[in-house]
Amino acid sequence: MTSRREAVAAEIPRLRRYARALLGDSSEADDLIQDTLERALARLDQWREGDNPRKWLFSILHNLYVDALRRTSRRPPHVGLDNLGVEHSAPAADGVSDLDRALTLLSDEQREVVLLVGLEGLSYAETAEVLAIPIGTVMSRLARGRDRLRTLLDYGRDADAERASLRRVR
Amino acid sequence: MSGRRVGEAELHAYVDGELTASDRAELEAAIATRPEDLHLAREISDLNQRLVDHYAHLLVEPLPPRLGLLAQRLIRRSRRRWRWQPGAVAAAVLLALVAAAAGYMARGLQAPPEPAFLASALSAHRVFVPEVRHPVEVGAAEETHLVQWLTRRVGAEVRAPDLADQGWKLIGGRLLADRGQAAAQFMYQDGGGRRLTLYLSKEPGLGDAAFRFAERGDFGAFYWVDRSLAYALAGRLDRNELMQLATSVYAQLGAPVSGRG
Repeated sequence: MTSRREAVAAEIPRLRRYARALLGDSSEADDLIQDTLERALARLDQWREGDNPRKWLFSILHNLYVDALRRTSRRPPHVGLDNLGVEHSAPAADGVSDLDRALTLLSDEQREVVLLVGLEGLSYAETAEVLAIPIGTVMSRLARGRDRLRTLLDYGRDADAERASLRRVR
Repeated sequence: MSGRRVGEAELHAYVDGELTASDRAELEAAIATRPEDLHLAREISDLNQRLVDHYAHLLVEPLPPRLGLLAQRLIRRSRRRWRWQPGAVAAAVLLALVAAAAGYMARGLQAPPEPAFLASALSAHRVFVPEVRHPVEVGAAEETHLVQWLTRRVGAEVRAPDLADQGWKLIGGRLLADRGQAAAQFMYQDGGGRRLTLYLSKEPGLGDAAFRFAERGDFGAFYWVDRSLAYALAGRLDRNELMQLATSVYAQLGAPVSGRG
């Protein structure tokens, strides 16, 4: 039992990093971590020693996150694609970075996948397991989420120009 | 151009390390002549890196008090069972974060009193670090002898942790006369000539204590007590850098010495 507790404790900084990126707010993120840890402790016997604790903890966190989204109607503002340019050009005067802001503009589902794979380095299979969705869904959410993020962060611009010029050459 | 078509999903899978070695090689050959695919792959990879960099501080910053307490409760129970293994390092890192959280809590209240060994460790650091010709009594070339000698004099298993991965080389050590008994000091130096000291003394009267940080002018020290041995790692280093080193020392020295248990 003791080494399970140890394994859970060792994951706290990573869980916290993920929750912060997911919610964009530190006190809400810490609430989520606290709930996650409490639930994990209550269900410690459900996790088999030797199994990856990370996947198990991320699943718990995900379920609590989904519950919280359902309970509160607190959702990130949805901005239509047409408005993106305007939204993005607003300077980040409040200390929120472009990246934080862009992440809040993804759908909840896209944000989770983009962060589990890109930030936490989970494999597609692990991500599918954590979120209880098929791998194909992981891949499509990932592609859409990253596309959107690239647009929001002005990535696509050079690539699009490049593609256009290539087309002209051909 | 005869290369096969490459789907966007495949590019994502490539960047995320999801392809087998042969698929990977095939895809690399296919996109080598396609600047737009290469560009997209690079952007996806850049995006991942940007996420990691942006949130990296969350892995090392102190936990807020409520999470620190929760973590401390989790660790305390199993503290005695640690072994020298990757999990122990993770737990040690966490302990450092917890300790930092504890310091963070204490700031507003009252600072806990500093143990006597800290003053000894800091003064030995101050005295010997600037020494040019005789910084140590016994050099690293005689490490085995040094360690045996200090172990015998201090009266407890003393070892010099290996900090080479972090860029610090052991230059040697010395015996200290400390409050009427023997204590040990190891000294390390990095490529830039900065010096670090690790102090150890036997403190049968002190219970285990997690990392704490002390600052004296331009240098700082992390100190702790583990199984009746007091440690203080001091240097003119950034606090985070010093904490990483202290964590490594803790993980290495917290391990049972071979043959003892």
